[in-house]
Amino acid sequence: MGTRTVLPVAAALGVFLIAWKAVVVIGAYPVFILPAPEVVADRFIRAWVEGTIQPHLAGTLQEIFLGFATGTGAALLVGYVLARSPLVERLISPYIVAAQATPILALSPLLVLWFGPGLLGKVVICSLIVFFPVAVATMVGIRSVDKRLLELGRSLRANRRQVVLTLEIPAALPSILGGMRVGVTLAVVGAIVGEWAGADRGLGVLINLARGSLFDIPLLFATLLTIALVGMALYLVVVLLERRLIGAR
Amino acid sequence: MTPGARPAGGSGSATDTGAIRASGLAVDFPLRRGGRLLALDQLNLEIAGGEIVALIGPNGSGKSTLLRAIAGLLPPLRGTVELDGVPITGPDPRIGLVFQEPRLLPWRTAAENICYPLELAGWDAERRRDRLAQLLDLVRLDPSAVGSRPFELSGGTGQRVALARALALQPEVLLLDEPFSQLDALTRERFDLELLALWERSATTTVLVTHNIAEAILVADRVIVLSARPGRVVADIPVDLPRPRTLASLEDAFVTRAAREIRAWLGESSGEASAEAAVPDATVVDTTVAGAA
Repeated sequence: MGTRTVLPVAAALGVFLIAWKAVVVIGAYPVFILPAPEVVADRFIRAWVEGTIQPHLAGTLQEIFLGFATGTGAALLVGYVLARSPLVERLISPYIVAAQATPILALSPLLVLWFGPGLLGKVVICSLIVFFPVAVATMVGIRSVDKRLLELGRSLRANRRQVVLTLEIPAALPSILGGMRVGVTLAVVGAIVGEWAGADRGLGVLINLARGSLFDIPLLFATLLTIALVGMALYLVVVLLERRLIGAR
Repeated sequence: MTPGARPAGGSGSATDTGAIRASGLAVDFPLRRGGRLLALDQLNLEIAGGEIVALIGPNGSGKSTLLRAIAGLLPPLRGTVELDGVPITGPDPRIGLVFQEPRLLPWRTAAENICYPLELAGWDAERRRDRLAQLLDLVRLDPSAVGSRPFELSGGTGQRVALARALALQPEVLLLDEPFSQLDALTRERFDLELLALWERSATTTVLVTHNIAEAILVADRVIVLSARPGRVVADIPVDLPRPRTLASLEDAFVTRAAREIRAWLGESSGEASAEAAVPDATVVDTTVAGAA
């Protein structure tokens, strides 16, 4: 990124911070309703220096990575089968849509009850929320593979594995990565929601602590900032991966 | 270079491999709206090893279907297609196929596209590299283009890459489905001549599907005319032009006669009055049948 893109981005951030500060000053809000940006920044740095955030962040990241990996893995498999078998699609897609239409927030207490308040419950919640966008993107991507390329593969006697690896996956990759972009930000949501349903560490737990027993609203904001940064960083990773894999076509 | 180089002069000299025979061939395929369409019926065709033949016919006469049946992509409903006396039951490495469009994998470079059949066949990287060098030479592909992605290539270069890919496994038979129809007229002529030169240097049986009478005459030993659907062979016109041929070959008086004959058969087979065959000789050769059906 050159200065040409950095400058407007920095300017937009500046405007946002000034507006935030203006709201705090004009509204004369107390710190426990809306802390000023510099208060949040100060608390953010202090929480990191004191090591308040790190263990919680580590817990949440672990849930996100495991949940995203299993959710994506399952979604790739199921999405592929859905694309290639109209019968399977007709049989199981209603259930997938129903599971997706039920808010994860409503499902999470049940899932924690089933899978326990430990890591497993969060991973299940995370992978469930990641599953839908990636599965749909995979299905659409595999279905839209150019029939003419498949005919080429057949004329060259590509076996099943070669068709999948050299034709279908590369052709569907832009669509799949689009689904993963959505999925990775949802994985963050899934982890936090899972932690709210019962956990002893994680950024979701820290939010509850900051609002409840600690009553440290600047810390609450610092945690929110951390969560947002995690989501942005993960999204960026997928975008970079995308650029690397399908940059030149 | 394909093994068993053609004897000098080489016009139509038969080799012992790459002979195609279709007997009593019928091919149908399912329609999207249900039912099946009979594209070819009672088609008999014999192509000697090393021969170069043009397939011409009205739109929907099943030219491409015939090509796909020979390539083993469409199973016969009745009858057989044989390669060197053995029925073709599926795609065969002895047969190379060039489609109407380059049909390259957009995520691979030109070189990777050329080597794709070798990869699928399990060749290691070193053998692939050696073969790639030979193929670039064979189809006269500019080595600076091999690192490019398909979207960066011109239509002609793309088709050159596709030709190299079809030749990668040293096929005995090369099938071309209107390969140059999307190129402009001058580029097409250049490619026709290069195809001829390539054929003259190799022993590859070549079947060219085309809409273009001039192209068929310029390239082929024989021009085979298919009827309207269901397609069968209605005429088999030998082209007795000396080789090597050049664009000047098209000025031979024989060409006008052959073109008129092909045109008459096409008019008849597409169910139209053959009045078109009466147009002045000079324009006959240059007209394609594309708009006729």
